[in-house]
Amino acid sequence: MAIQETKYLTEFYHLPEFKGIDGYKKNGGYVELEKALKMQPQAIIDEVKASGLRGRGGAGFSTGMKWGFLPKNNEPRYLLCNADEGEPGTFKDRMMMEKAPHQLIEGMIISGFAIGSKKSYIYVRGEYDQSINTLETAIQEAYKAGYLGKNILGSGFDHDMDVYRGAGAYICGEETGMISSLEGLKGQPKLKPPFPAVQGYLKKPTIVNNVETLAVVKYVIRDGAAHYKKIGTEKSTGTKLFSLSGNVMKPGNFEVPLGFPLKDMVFGLGGGMKPGRQLKAVIPGGSSAPVLNAEESNRALLDYENLAQMGTMLGSGAIIVIDDSNCMVQCLSNLMHFYHHESCGQCTPCREGTGWLDKITRSILSGKGRLQDIELLLKVADNMKGKTICALSDAAALPVLSFVPKFRDEFEYFVREGKSKVKGTAYKGHSYAEMHH
Amino acid sequence: MLKCTINGVALEVKPGTTIIEAMNNNAQRIAHYCWHPGLSVAGVCRLCMVEIQGNPRVQIACNTMVTEGMVINNTSDKVKDAVKWGLDFHLINHPLDCPVCDQAGECGLQDQYMEYGQYDSEMAEKKQKKHKVVDLGPTVVLDSERCILCSRCVRFTDEVSKTNELGIFNRGDHAEIGTHAGKPLDNKYSLNTVDICPVGALTSKDFRFKQRVWYLKDSETVCNGCSTGCNVKVYFNKEGLFRVKPIYNAEVNGHWMCDEGRDTYKFVNLGARLTKAYQFVSGTWIENYAGAAAKVAGANLKSAKAEEIGLVLTGQHTVEEYESIVSTFVNTFKTKNIFHWVNNKESFESFDGILLRGDKNPNTKGLLQVLEKHGINASWSQLEEGLKSKKIKHLVVAGPENTFVYPDLEQKMQLFLTAENLVVLTAAKTPALEAYKGSNKITAIPLKTYIEKDGTFINFQGRAQKFKKATTVVSEALTLSDAATLMAGQDLQLHVASPREVLVAEHIRADQVHLESRTKNEFVFNRGRL
Amino acid sequence: MSVVKQKDESKEWYLIGITTGLIITMKHLLVNLFNKKKMITLNYPEEKYEYSPRFKGNHVLTVKKDGSIRCTACMLCATNCPAECITIKASEHPDAQVEKYPISYEIDMLRCVFCGFCEEACPVDAVRLGPEWQTPGLNGSNFTYDINHLAYRPALKGGVASIVDDQDRHKAGI
Repeated sequence: MAIQETKYLTEFYHLPEFKGIDGYKKNGGYVELEKALKMQPQAIIDEVKASGLRGRGGAGFSTGMKWGFLPKNNEPRYLLCNADEGEPGTFKDRMMMEKAPHQLIEGMIISGFAIGSKKSYIYVRGEYDQSINTLETAIQEAYKAGYLGKNILGSGFDHDMDVYRGAGAYICGEETGMISSLEGLKGQPKLKPPFPAVQGYLKKPTIVNNVETLAVVKYVIRDGAAHYKKIGTEKSTGTKLFSLSGNVMKPGNFEVPLGFPLKDMVFGLGGGMKPGRQLKAVIPGGSSAPVLNAEESNRALLDYENLAQMGTMLGSGAIIVIDDSNCMVQCLSNLMHFYHHESCGQCTPCREGTGWLDKITRSILSGKGRLQDIELLLKVADNMKGKTICALSDAAALPVLSFVPKFRDEFEYFVREGKSKVKGTAYKGHSYAEMHH
Repeated sequence: MLKCTINGVALEVKPGTTIIEAMNNNAQRIAHYCWHPGLSVAGVCRLCMVEIQGNPRVQIACNTMVTEGMVINNTSDKVKDAVKWGLDFHLINHPLDCPVCDQAGECGLQDQYMEYGQYDSEMAEKKQKKHKVVDLGPTVVLDSERCILCSRCVRFTDEVSKTNELGIFNRGDHAEIGTHAGKPLDNKYSLNTVDICPVGALTSKDFRFKQRVWYLKDSETVCNGCSTGCNVKVYFNKEGLFRVKPIYNAEVNGHWMCDEGRDTYKFVNLGARLTKAYQFVSGTWIENYAGAAAKVAGANLKSAKAEEIGLVLTGQHTVEEYESIVSTFVNTFKTKNIFHWVNNKESFESFDGILLRGDKNPNTKGLLQVLEKHGINASWSQLEEGLKSKKIKHLVVAGPENTFVYPDLEQKMQLFLTAENLVVLTAAKTPALEAYKGSNKITAIPLKTYIEKDGTFINFQGRAQKFKKATTVVSEALTLSDAATLMAGQDLQLHVASPREVLVAEHIRADQVHLESRTKNEFVFNRGRL
Repeated sequence: MSVVKQKDESKEWYLIGITTGLIITMKHLLVNLFNKKKMITLNYPEEKYEYSPRFKGNHVLTVKKDGSIRCTACMLCATNCPAECITIKASEHPDAQVEKYPISYEIDMLRCVFCGFCEEACPVDAVRLGPEWQTPGLNGSNFTYDINHLAYRPALKGGVASIVDDQDRHKAGI
């Protein structure tokens, strides 16, 4: 049997009308909202907790637990939807926002009701023009239909929703960085503790969830935790959207249950390698995830536990496939340039370390590398890891710590010979660099 | 109280104390740049790493609260390695131009490097170029290359001065401190940013390149700029005084002081001082020794009638001096014509909410207390009338040291000059006197400033703050007590005070190095309180 | 310490010693008369002895390629000087890259002990002890050399350019 997607969230995505409120309602929209508003908020939190739903943004933290951290008082609290999809290789949230904005809005109203929030924001990446337009139209429709605003569906629950447009900084995808940005400050992560669930936006309790996580809440209410738990593996429940990109025949977003073999994703859904090319490496969870070599990716399963066992992570579900026509030194240099450019500059190890890593990889690429530079890369990355406020320095360090040991021969060859081991990949400078400097 | 163990030492701390506070308050050394006890926690330098038992990762001490039974150490190899790398990250883009940099000698980077670093840098790439000599405002200059972006100055303008001029612009290793266009760093507390800058990024325009810090000695004293009485350190050498910096006193000034107070050293230096006594006899100045002049003046007063003698005091002298001159006048000259010269009546009670007070005298309270003790309640109008009606013929004026805060100086001097015999005791050059060629008998006697004597100021709260002599600028000058003794016709007793006899302010820490226990040219900078 | 001389018979015959001395003197006189090249004295001041280039004589302030003074007024030489003969006044340089320079740099030559510590302390190769060693002066003449004399005196023929230039230093990442 051919390998197929499990369409759970994306069941109606092929219908263009699903974008509008009428088409959405025709296909089962806003039914769960009515159901949820009749439930006790705590019951919804318990249901989500029981479903085993884990954050789809990257860290994979249990959503129900996160909601449970909110202080039990009557302080105003905020719900924040993280749609600042900045991780290189990820493009699933964009599809969700553009194809089914009401799915997200409904999920957010239910979540807002569960945590007792009267105000929520969707923080959308600045470059996502179309998503912002779609969302804004959808929110207008929801207001008109009475799903948003005062006394929603006669339940006495008020909820307002706004779209906030980011300015394109990667760091604003980090939850506290996003809160700073939303507050009108420079997008810099804040010290934890206090965690946002205790003191977040405007120093009030705040829950930040990914687009996909919030959309799933609707389905947990629809089918119940017990049914949702049956999908996926024991600890990684449900389906997940994966953004497959890189050197595959059919890149795109695919929804599969967690625990799906990576091999099937690349060679089945992704259509395999281009003719005559061999699989060299796969980055399974966005650019910050440690890379897997060909052998590892053949046995990897796409769930939180299995990938963690293999020393990498599921992250945001951005699978980047690298075939044998690519030079790993150049790949790493490209990544390092990205993190150098995106470091907020707050913590010293990250501010200086990302720049240093970028400079070292570039000097290797330009043929001026020294053999001790390879060791130095590892040392610098090792000392950046876990030393900063947010995870950006980890995100920059982890690729180095996986690229260099796993493809050491390519790095050594480059340093010794001054050129790439892979033929036809002459260094032509960073297109990214030329764009920004 | 919570029990914890830091580097093997069992401590008890209050709940809510962070590890770095616990270490700092108990004389444990810990590397840090961004943490400052008077500011919020930023947690960005990542240098104050500690190892907590049971936690595999090193943690920052500034944002971790002490919990019951916590076992902390910052001397393990793991911590040392983390600090060494933390320093390396700070230094890779920091220019190595310590010889040019004004902070050299009291620089946080140098100190921490000597203590925790001492390695060869592995950085082979070019350093990041940034702006140099950026004019931030009327008082401060910035060198972005030297900046380690600890954000102390930004937090200071946000939290203490609440003027929000500074910000960090750009991101990553391009980030720089800066001001917004048209909004320079111009507030009354701006120079505190220079003090808290752990490196040479922010420098004071006033002090920049004047001296290398290792040529300066320091001494603790009390600021005489206003009635707040901030605890300060003055820095001086044989050429004079160069700068004033605040020291911590929780009850008075916290960690800060105002920019006005930093200028108070200027009137102490030789250029602004009256160095010789002058007696103005029948239209000509005769130079004399201060002591001899005081004796002559005293003899003149003794031959005068008691009700014809008057004394004018400003709030700029010490309590001890007031006591001795007032009792001399009351007991020897038998007069109660003692008047309080108030310099700026309108703004006397004003207060800017942080430190600056309208009463620009350090010891108004002290003067009032001494006057009250002797039952003196003469009003200023009595003096004016007395001079007009020639009732008061002999007038002794103890003039202000800091003439900048006496806008009425010229006008009052003209008033005093209507007396037949005027004795002006002052530390400052007084142009009004020199310009005046009348028939009066005028005597000008140089006084010592607050830097040159021991004494006590009583600030607006009624808090008596003792301070001791730092250095001598005009060796011939007298204190007001000396002058009183000499005018009473007695001789000066040589009193050798033991160092412990006169305390500096109230706060003496166990790790504090005192002036007297110091060898020549040794620059002492207390690292623990960077 | 005084030395007690022992009476020695042989020393009473001093004529032998005197004659030996006169022979040596005569030998040198004759050698110098017939072979002037071997003469070891000089006709000072017409003739001057040439010292090695590493001789530590009078100070020189080196200049950059453009002729400006290298000194950054860090005062390390003054700090290191055991004779305390160096006095420097620093000032703000109009060029932000240079930042600081001396407006006055004085060495009191009569106090100087020519130890060369200033040269060693200098981080920018700005002060050197040169080969020049004759510094005569009349009674009352000024032996406190100022910045112009130290850097641009005619004997230096336009100043001594330092081997290391600022730009080279920047290239090397210093």
